[in-house]
Amino acid sequence: MPAPDDFDYDAALAACAQGQRQALAQIYTRESRYLLGVALRIVRQRQYAEDVLHDAFVAIWQRATTFDAARGAGRGWIYSVVRNTALNWVRNNARDVPVDEETGAALEDEMAVQHHASTRDAGETRVDLGRLDGCLDRLEPGRRECIVLAYVDGCSHGEIAERTQTPLGTVKAWIQRGMRALRECMT
Amino acid sequence: MNPNTPTPPPDSDDIQSLAGEYVLGTLSAARRRDVEARMAQEPALRDAVDAWEARLLPLTALAEPVEPSLSLWKRIERSVASPAAAAAANVKRTAADVQTWWNNLNLWRGLAGTGFAAAAVMAAVLVVRMQAPATPQYMVVLVAPQDKAPGWVVQTGGRQQEQLSLIPLGTVAVPSDKSLQFWTKADAWRGPVSLGLVQPGKALRVPIDKLPALEANQLFELTLEPANGSPIDRPTGPIQFIGRAVKVL
Repeated sequence: MPAPDDFDYDAALAACAQGQRQALAQIYTRESRYLLGVALRIVRQRQYAEDVLHDAFVAIWQRATTFDAARGAGRGWIYSVVRNTALNWVRNNARDVPVDEETGAALEDEMAVQHHASTRDAGETRVDLGRLDGCLDRLEPGRRECIVLAYVDGCSHGEIAERTQTPLGTVKAWIQRGMRALRECMT
Repeated sequence: MNPNTPTPPPDSDDIQSLAGEYVLGTLSAARRRDVEARMAQEPALRDAVDAWEARLLPLTALAEPVEPSLSLWKRIERSVASPAAAAAANVKRTAADVQTWWNNLNLWRGLAGTGFAAAAVMAAVLVVRMQAPATPQYMVVLVAPQDKAPGWVVQTGGRQQEQLSLIPLGTVAVPSDKSLQFWTKADAWRGPVSLGLVQPGKALRVPIDKLPALEANQLFELTLEPANGSPIDRPTGPIQFIGRAVKVL
Protein backbone atom coordinates (compact mmCIF):
# COMPACT_ATOMS: atom_id res chain seq x y z
CA MET A 1 0.00 0.00 0.00
CA PRO A 2 1.22 3.53 -0.64
CA ALA A 3 3.09 5.40 2.03
CA PRO A 4 0.65 7.20 4.24
CA ASP A 5 0.38 10.91 3.66
CA ASP A 6 -2.40 13.40 3.71
CA PHE A 7 -4.15 12.37 0.50
CA ASP A 8 -7.84 12.80 1.28
CA TYR A 9 -9.70 9.82 -0.17
CA ASP A 10 -13.04 10.97 1.16
CA ALA A 11 -12.67 14.35 -0.52
CA ALA A 12 -11.57 12.70 -3.77
CA LEU A 13 -14.69 10.51 -3.75
CA ALA A 14 -16.87 13.53 -2.98
CA ALA A 15 -15.30 15.27 -5.99
CA CYS A 16 -16.01 12.20 -8.14
CA ALA A 17 -19.62 12.36 -7.00
CA GLN A 18 -19.70 15.93 -8.31
CA GLY A 19 -18.42 14.81 -11.69
CA GLN A 20 -14.79 15.91 -11.37
CA ARG A 21 -12.83 13.45 -13.46
CA GLN A 22 -9.53 14.79 -12.20
CA ALA A 23 -10.36 13.32 -8.80
CA LEU A 24 -10.81 9.85 -10.29
CA ALA A 25 -7.49 10.28 -12.09
CA GLN A 26 -5.82 11.16 -8.78
CA ILE A 27 -7.15 8.03 -7.14
CA TYR A 28 -5.99 5.98 -10.13
CA THR A 29 -2.51 7.50 -10.16
CA ARG A 30 -2.13 6.85 -6.50
CA GLU A 31 -3.69 3.43 -6.10
CA SER A 32 -3.88 1.62 -9.45
CA ARG A 33 -0.74 -0.48 -9.01
CA TYR A 34 -1.79 -1.63 -5.57
CA LEU A 35 -5.37 -2.26 -6.66
CA LEU A 36 -4.22 -4.19 -9.73
CA GLY A 37 -2.06 -6.30 -7.44
CA VAL A 38 -5.08 -7.07 -5.27
CA ALA A 39 -7.23 -7.95 -8.31
CA LEU A 40 -4.51 -10.07 -9.92
CA ARG A 41 -4.11 -12.23 -6.84
CA ILE A 42 -7.83 -12.99 -6.93
CA VAL A 43 -8.48 -13.46 -10.67
CA ARG A 44 -4.97 -14.87 -11.41
CA GLN A 45 -4.71 -13.66 -15.01
CA ARG A 46 -3.43 -10.25 -15.88
CA GLN A 47 -5.85 -9.64 -18.73
CA TYR A 48 -8.84 -10.33 -16.47
CA ALA A 49 -7.31 -8.33 -13.62
CA GLU A 50 -7.11 -5.28 -15.88
CA ASP A 51 -10.71 -5.84 -16.97
CA VAL A 52 -11.69 -6.02 -13.29
CA LEU A 53 -9.81 -2.81 -12.51
CA HIS A 54 -11.50 -1.10 -15.45
CA ASP A 55 -14.96 -2.18 -14.30
CA ALA A 56 -14.16 -1.26 -10.69
CA PHE A 57 -13.05 2.27 -11.61
CA VAL A 58 -16.20 2.76 -13.68
CA ALA A 59 -18.17 1.55 -10.64
CA ILE A 60 -16.25 3.89 -8.30
CA TRP A 61 -17.12 6.76 -10.62
CA GLN A 62 -20.77 5.80 -10.94
CA ARG A 63 -21.29 4.92 -7.28
CA ALA A 64 -19.25 7.72 -5.69
CA THR A 65 -22.55 9.44 -4.84
CA THR A 66 -23.43 6.48 -2.59
CA PHE A 67 -20.17 6.66 -0.65
CA ASP A 68 -20.90 7.69 2.92
CA ALA A 69 -17.84 8.74 4.90
CA ALA A 70 -19.80 8.19 8.11
CA ARG A 71 -19.87 4.46 7.32
CA GLY A 72 -16.16 4.01 6.76
CA ALA A 73 -13.04 5.49 5.22
CA GLY A 74 -12.87 6.23 1.51
CA ARG A 75 -9.74 4.22 0.92
CA GLY A 76 -11.33 1.08 2.32
CA TRP A 77 -14.42 1.68 0.20
CA ILE A 78 -12.28 1.83 -2.95
CA TYR A 79 -10.52 -1.44 -2.07
CA SER A 80 -13.86 -3.08 -1.33
CA VAL A 81 -15.23 -2.10 -4.75
CA VAL A 82 -12.18 -3.63 -6.43
CA ARG A 83 -12.22 -6.81 -4.32
CA ASN A 84 -15.95 -7.29 -4.83
CA THR A 85 -15.61 -6.80 -8.59
CA ALA A 86 -12.80 -9.37 -8.64
CA LEU A 87 -14.62 -11.84 -6.36
CA ASN A 88 -17.83 -11.59 -8.38
CA TRP A 89 -15.76 -12.24 -11.47
CA VAL A 90 -14.15 -15.42 -10.13
CA ARG A 91 -17.35 -16.74 -8.57
CA ASN A 92 -19.28 -16.10 -11.80
CA ASN A 93 -16.61 -17.63 -13.99
CA ALA A 94 -15.87 -20.93 -12.34
CA ARG A 95 -12.14 -20.80 -12.20
CA ASP A 96 -10.53 -23.42 -14.35
CA VAL A 97 -7.83 -21.27 -15.85
CA PRO A 98 -4.34 -22.28 -14.77
CA VAL A 99 -2.14 -19.75 -13.06
CA ASP A 100 -0.25 -18.20 -15.92
CA GLU A 101 3.48 -18.47 -15.99
CA GLU A 102 4.28 -14.91 -15.01
CA THR A 103 1.85 -14.88 -12.12
CA GLY A 104 3.19 -18.20 -10.96
CA ALA A 105 6.72 -16.85 -10.97
CA ALA A 106 5.61 -13.74 -9.11
CA LEU A 107 3.85 -15.86 -6.50
CA GLU A 108 6.94 -17.96 -6.02
CA ASP A 109 9.05 -14.85 -5.67
CA GLU A 110 6.73 -13.57 -3.04
CA MET A 111 6.83 -16.84 -1.23
CA ALA A 112 10.61 -16.75 -1.20
CA VAL A 113 10.56 -13.25 0.17
CA GLN A 114 8.05 -14.27 2.80
CA HIS A 115 10.14 -17.23 3.74
CA HIS A 116 13.11 -14.95 4.14
CA ALA A 117 11.05 -12.54 6.20
CA SER A 118 9.64 -15.27 8.41
CA THR A 119 13.09 -16.51 9.27
CA ARG A 120 14.56 -13.13 10.07
CA ASP A 121 15.59 -12.19 13.53
CA ALA A 122 12.82 -10.97 15.75
CA GLY A 123 12.88 -7.28 16.46
CA GLU A 124 13.39 -6.14 12.90
CA THR A 125 11.08 -3.59 11.42
CA ARG A 126 7.59 -4.74 10.58
CA VAL A 127 4.95 -2.95 8.66
CA ASP A 128 2.14 -2.27 11.04
CA LEU A 129 -0.93 -4.32 10.28
CA GLY A 130 -2.61 -2.54 13.12
CA ARG A 131 -4.64 -4.61 15.51
CA LEU A 132 -5.07 -7.26 12.86
CA ASP A 133 -1.37 -8.07 13.28
CA GLY A 134 -1.51 -9.28 16.85
CA CYS A 135 -4.86 -10.96 16.35
CA LEU A 136 -3.67 -12.93 13.32
CA ASP A 137 -0.58 -13.90 15.26
CA ARG A 138 -2.76 -15.46 17.90
CA LEU A 139 -4.65 -17.68 15.48
CA GLU A 140 -3.56 -21.24 14.97
CA PRO A 141 -1.46 -21.33 11.77
CA GLY A 142 -3.97 -23.52 9.89
CA ARG A 143 -6.81 -21.10 10.53
CA ARG A 144 -4.67 -18.09 9.66
CA GLU A 145 -3.61 -19.67 6.41
CA CYS A 146 -7.22 -20.41 5.38
CA ILE A 147 -8.21 -16.81 6.04
CA VAL A 148 -5.31 -15.40 4.05
CA LEU A 149 -5.86 -17.80 1.14
CA ALA A 150 -9.50 -16.74 1.00
CA TYR A 151 -9.03 -13.00 1.41
CA VAL A 152 -5.83 -12.44 -0.55
CA ASP A 153 -6.00 -15.21 -3.15
CA GLY A 154 -9.76 -15.34 -3.57
CA CYS A 155 -9.81 -19.08 -2.91
CA SER A 156 -13.13 -20.84 -2.38
CA HIS A 157 -13.52 -23.38 0.44
CA GLY A 158 -12.84 -26.14 -2.08
CA GLU A 159 -9.69 -24.51 -3.42
CA ILE A 160 -8.36 -23.99 0.09
CA ALA A 161 -9.03 -27.63 0.92
CA GLU A 162 -7.11 -28.66 -2.19
CA ARG A 163 -4.17 -26.33 -1.60
CA THR A 164 -3.73 -27.12 2.05
CA GLN A 165 -4.56 -30.82 1.71
CA THR A 166 -7.20 -30.43 4.41
CA PRO A 167 -10.72 -31.94 4.40
CA LEU A 168 -13.39 -29.49 3.21
CA GLY A 169 -15.35 -29.68 6.46
CA THR A 170 -12.23 -28.86 8.46
CA VAL A 171 -11.51 -25.84 6.26
CA LYS A 172 -15.02 -24.51 6.77
CA ALA A 173 -14.82 -25.02 10.54
CA TRP A 174 -11.36 -23.41 10.76
CA ILE A 175 -12.56 -20.36 8.87
CA GLN A 176 -15.65 -20.04 11.07
CA ARG A 177 -13.64 -20.31 14.26
CA GLY A 178 -10.77 -18.20 12.98
CA MET A 179 -13.10 -15.39 11.96
CA ARG A 180 -14.91 -15.53 15.28
CA ALA A 181 -11.60 -15.35 17.14
CA LEU A 182 -10.48 -12.41 14.99
CA ARG A 183 -13.65 -10.51 15.68
CA GLU A 184 -13.43 -11.11 19.41
CA CYS A 185 -9.77 -10.13 19.42
CA MET A 186 -10.39 -6.90 17.49
CA THR A 187 -13.53 -5.80 19.29
CA MET B 1 -35.88 -13.50 24.58
CA ASN B 2 -38.42 -13.85 21.84
CA PRO B 3 -37.63 -16.81 19.61
CA ASN B 4 -39.79 -15.33 16.84
CA THR B 5 -37.75 -12.17 16.38
CA PRO B 6 -37.75 -11.74 12.59
CA THR B 7 -34.38 -10.02 12.28
CA PRO B 8 -31.46 -11.34 14.29
CA PRO B 9 -29.64 -8.79 16.45
CA PRO B 10 -26.65 -7.09 14.82
CA ASP B 11 -24.08 -9.06 16.74
CA SER B 12 -25.75 -12.41 16.17
CA ASP B 13 -23.43 -15.16 15.04
CA ASP B 14 -25.45 -15.77 11.87
CA ILE B 15 -25.15 -12.19 10.68
CA GLN B 16 -21.49 -12.00 11.64
CA SER B 17 -20.67 -15.28 10.00
CA LEU B 18 -22.48 -14.41 6.78
CA ALA B 19 -20.94 -10.92 6.64
CA GLY B 20 -17.49 -12.30 7.44
CA GLU B 21 -17.59 -14.91 4.71
CA TYR B 22 -18.98 -12.38 2.24
CA VAL B 23 -16.02 -10.07 2.85
CA LEU B 24 -13.59 -12.97 2.98
CA GLY B 25 -14.88 -14.02 -0.45
CA THR B 26 -15.76 -17.66 0.17
CA LEU B 27 -19.47 -17.41 -0.71
CA SER B 28 -20.82 -18.71 -4.04
CA ALA B 29 -21.98 -16.28 -6.72
CA ALA B 30 -25.63 -16.86 -5.78
CA ARG B 31 -25.02 -16.27 -2.07
CA ARG B 32 -22.97 -13.15 -2.83
CA ARG B 33 -25.91 -11.74 -4.80
CA ASP B 34 -28.20 -12.66 -1.94
CA VAL B 35 -26.05 -10.81 0.62
CA GLU B 36 -25.80 -7.77 -1.65
CA ALA B 37 -29.58 -7.66 -2.04
CA ARG B 38 -30.17 -8.12 1.70
CA MET B 39 -27.71 -5.38 2.67
CA ALA B 40 -30.00 -2.76 1.16
CA GLN B 41 -32.81 -3.93 3.46
CA GLU B 42 -30.90 -4.97 6.59
CA PRO B 43 -28.82 -2.30 8.30
CA ALA B 44 -27.43 -4.87 10.74
CA LEU B 45 -26.01 -6.96 7.91
CA ARG B 46 -24.61 -3.88 6.21
CA ASP B 47 -22.98 -2.73 9.45
CA ALA B 48 -21.43 -6.15 9.92
CA VAL B 49 -20.06 -6.12 6.35
CA ASP B 50 -18.64 -2.62 6.83
CA ALA B 51 -16.94 -3.71 10.04
CA TRP B 52 -15.43 -6.82 8.43
CA GLU B 53 -14.18 -4.78 5.48
CA ALA B 54 -12.40 -2.42 7.87
CA ARG B 55 -10.96 -5.28 9.94
CA LEU B 56 -9.48 -7.20 7.04
CA LEU B 57 -8.40 -4.28 4.83
CA PRO B 58 -4.74 -4.38 5.99
CA LEU B 59 -4.43 -7.83 4.38
CA THR B 60 -4.67 -6.19 0.93
CA ALA B 61 -1.07 -5.10 1.49
CA LEU B 62 -0.01 -8.73 1.06
CA ALA B 63 -0.73 -8.48 -2.67
CA GLU B 64 2.39 -7.28 -4.43
CA PRO B 65 1.81 -4.14 -6.54
CA VAL B 66 1.56 -4.60 -10.32
CA GLU B 67 1.92 -1.71 -12.74
CA PRO B 68 -1.17 -1.47 -15.02
CA SER B 69 -0.59 -1.30 -18.76
CA LEU B 70 -0.46 2.22 -20.11
CA SER B 71 -3.71 1.81 -22.03
CA LEU B 72 -5.84 0.96 -19.00
CA TRP B 73 -6.41 4.50 -17.79
CA LYS B 74 -7.37 5.59 -21.32
CA ARG B 75 -9.91 2.78 -21.41
CA ILE B 76 -11.35 3.84 -18.06
CA GLU B 77 -11.49 7.48 -19.19
CA ARG B 78 -13.39 6.49 -22.33
CA SER B 79 -15.86 4.43 -20.35
CA VAL B 80 -16.41 7.13 -17.75
CA ALA B 81 -16.96 9.72 -20.47
CA SER B 82 -19.54 7.53 -22.14
CA PRO B 83 -21.46 5.11 -19.91
CA ALA B 84 -23.04 3.45 -22.95
CA ALA B 85 -19.62 2.66 -24.33
CA ALA B 86 -18.63 1.20 -20.98
CA ALA B 87 -21.60 -1.14 -21.02
CA ALA B 88 -20.72 -2.25 -24.52
CA ALA B 89 -17.10 -2.74 -23.56
CA ASN B 90 -18.12 -4.95 -20.68
CA VAL B 91 -20.05 -7.24 -22.98
CA LYS B 92 -17.46 -7.51 -25.66
CA ARG B 93 -13.77 -6.95 -25.14
CA THR B 94 -12.36 -5.77 -28.42
CA ALA B 95 -9.57 -7.52 -30.22
CA ALA B 96 -7.58 -4.32 -29.81
CA ASP B 97 -7.69 -4.67 -26.03
CA VAL B 98 -6.40 -8.20 -26.19
CA GLN B 99 -3.69 -7.05 -28.55
CA THR B 100 -2.74 -4.29 -26.13
CA TRP B 101 -2.48 -6.74 -23.31
CA TRP B 102 -0.20 -9.03 -25.25
CA ASN B 103 1.97 -6.13 -26.22
CA ASN B 104 2.29 -5.27 -22.60
CA LEU B 105 3.35 -8.72 -21.58
CA ASN B 106 6.95 -7.59 -21.84
CA LEU B 107 6.26 -4.66 -19.61
CA TRP B 108 4.61 -7.04 -17.17
CA ARG B 109 7.50 -9.44 -17.36
CA GLY B 110 9.91 -6.66 -16.50
CA LEU B 111 7.78 -5.56 -13.60
CA ALA B 112 7.15 -8.97 -12.14
CA GLY B 113 9.97 -8.58 -9.67
CA THR B 114 9.12 -5.17 -8.30
CA GLY B 115 7.37 -4.31 -5.12
CA PHE B 116 8.14 -7.28 -2.99
CA ALA B 117 9.70 -5.31 -0.21
CA ALA B 118 6.32 -4.45 1.26
CA ALA B 119 5.32 -8.08 1.15
CA ALA B 120 8.58 -9.03 2.81
CA VAL B 121 8.09 -7.06 5.96
CA MET B 122 4.39 -7.82 6.01
CA ALA B 123 5.13 -11.48 5.92
CA ALA B 124 6.96 -11.31 9.21
CA VAL B 125 3.57 -12.20 10.62
CA LEU B 126 2.11 -14.23 7.78
CA VAL B 127 3.56 -17.10 5.91
CA VAL B 128 1.42 -18.26 3.04
CA ARG B 129 2.21 -21.81 2.15
CA MET B 130 1.88 -22.58 -1.52
CA GLN B 131 1.59 -26.06 -2.93
CA ALA B 132 4.46 -28.28 -1.88
CA PRO B 133 6.54 -28.24 -5.10
CA ALA B 134 6.99 -24.49 -4.75
CA THR B 135 8.92 -24.83 -1.51
CA PRO B 136 12.45 -23.47 -1.85
CA GLN B 137 15.25 -25.90 -1.25
CA TYR B 138 17.97 -23.37 -0.60
CA MET B 139 17.63 -19.87 0.60
CA VAL B 140 20.25 -17.20 0.20
CA VAL B 141 19.89 -13.73 1.61
CA LEU B 142 22.32 -11.24 0.13
CA VAL B 143 23.20 -8.44 2.51
CA ALA B 144 25.25 -5.27 2.16
CA PRO B 145 28.74 -5.94 3.60
CA GLN B 146 28.79 -2.80 5.74
CA ASP B 147 25.44 -2.60 7.46
CA LYS B 148 24.20 -6.16 6.80
CA ALA B 149 20.95 -4.77 5.38
CA PRO B 150 19.23 -7.49 3.32
CA GLY B 151 19.00 -6.43 -0.33
CA TRP B 152 18.20 -9.55 -2.34
CA VAL B 153 16.97 -13.09 -1.90
CA VAL B 154 18.06 -16.05 -4.04
CA GLN B 155 15.62 -18.87 -4.50
CA THR B 156 15.99 -22.21 -6.20
CA GLY B 157 13.60 -25.07 -6.71
CA GLY B 158 9.92 -24.38 -7.02
CA ARG B 159 8.15 -25.12 -10.25
CA GLN B 160 11.21 -24.29 -12.31
CA GLN B 161 13.71 -26.76 -10.98
CA GLU B 162 16.24 -25.70 -13.58
CA GLN B 163 16.35 -22.07 -12.69
CA LEU B 164 17.50 -19.81 -9.95
CA SER B 165 15.78 -16.55 -9.12
CA LEU B 166 17.43 -13.45 -7.70
CA ILE B 167 14.70 -11.35 -6.15
CA PRO B 168 15.09 -7.73 -5.03
CA LEU B 169 13.86 -6.67 -1.61
CA GLY B 170 14.07 -3.04 -2.65
CA THR B 171 15.75 -0.84 -5.22
CA VAL B 172 19.41 0.06 -5.24
CA ALA B 173 21.13 2.96 -6.93
CA VAL B 174 23.77 2.05 -9.52
CA PRO B 175 25.82 4.78 -11.28
CA SER B 176 24.87 5.02 -14.98
CA ASP B 177 28.34 3.96 -16.14
CA LYS B 178 28.33 0.88 -13.90
CA SER B 179 26.44 -2.36 -13.63
CA LEU B 180 25.66 -4.94 -10.99
CA GLN B 181 27.01 -8.40 -11.76
CA PHE B 182 25.82 -11.58 -10.08
CA TRP B 183 28.37 -14.28 -9.16
CA THR B 184 28.44 -17.59 -7.39
CA LYS B 185 31.15 -19.88 -6.06
CA ALA B 186 30.94 -23.16 -4.17
CA ASP B 187 33.66 -23.98 -1.65
CA ALA B 188 35.44 -26.46 -3.91
CA TRP B 189 35.33 -24.36 -7.06
CA ARG B 190 38.51 -22.70 -8.23
CA GLY B 191 36.84 -19.39 -9.02
CA PRO B 192 33.49 -17.64 -9.19
CA VAL B 193 31.09 -18.04 -12.10
CA SER B 194 29.14 -15.10 -13.49
CA LEU B 195 25.38 -15.52 -13.50
CA GLY B 196 24.81 -12.32 -15.45
CA LEU B 197 24.08 -8.64 -15.06
CA VAL B 198 21.31 -7.46 -12.78
CA GLN B 199 18.87 -4.60 -13.26
CA PRO B 200 18.44 -2.74 -9.96
CA GLY B 201 15.07 -3.55 -8.42
CA LYS B 202 14.27 -6.30 -10.92
CA ALA B 203 14.18 -10.06 -10.49
CA LEU B 204 16.69 -12.08 -12.49
CA ARG B 205 16.08 -15.67 -13.57
CA VAL B 206 19.11 -17.76 -14.37
CA PRO B 207 19.05 -21.23 -15.93
CA ILE B 208 21.23 -23.44 -13.77
CA ASP B 209 21.17 -26.65 -15.75
CA LYS B 210 24.78 -25.97 -16.82
CA LEU B 211 25.94 -25.50 -13.24
CA PRO B 212 26.75 -28.15 -10.66
CA ALA B 213 23.95 -28.70 -8.15
CA LEU B 214 23.69 -25.98 -5.58
CA GLU B 215 25.31 -26.84 -2.29
CA ALA B 216 25.13 -25.58 1.25
CA ASN B 217 27.37 -22.62 2.03
CA GLN B 218 27.74 -21.77 -1.68
CA LEU B 219 28.68 -18.11 -2.03
CA PHE B 220 26.58 -15.58 -3.95
CA GLU B 221 27.52 -11.98 -4.48
CA LEU B 222 26.70 -8.85 -6.46
CA THR B 223 29.64 -6.66 -7.43
CA LEU B 224 29.86 -3.23 -9.01
CA GLU B 225 31.39 -3.61 -12.45
CA PRO B 226 31.82 -1.57 -15.68
CA ALA B 227 28.60 -0.99 -17.66
CA ASN B 228 28.95 -4.21 -19.65
CA GLY B 229 30.14 -6.33 -16.78
CA SER B 230 33.55 -7.48 -15.66
CA PRO B 231 36.02 -7.66 -18.57
CA ILE B 232 37.52 -10.84 -17.08
CA ASP B 233 36.12 -14.05 -15.65
CA ARG B 234 36.06 -12.86 -12.06
CA PRO B 235 34.81 -9.81 -10.16
CA THR B 236 36.85 -6.60 -10.44
CA GLY B 237 34.72 -4.17 -8.41
CA PRO B 238 33.57 -3.84 -4.82
CA ILE B 239 31.05 -6.26 -3.35
CA GLN B 240 27.63 -4.66 -2.97
CA PHE B 241 25.74 -7.64 -1.59
CA ILE B 242 26.91 -11.03 -0.38
CA GLY B 243 25.41 -14.17 1.16
CA ARG B 244 25.73 -17.95 1.45
CA ALA B 245 23.25 -20.71 0.64
CA VAL B 246 21.37 -22.21 3.55
CA LYS B 247 19.53 -25.47 3.12
CA VAL B 248 15.93 -25.00 4.13
CA LEU B 249 14.34 -28.26 3.06
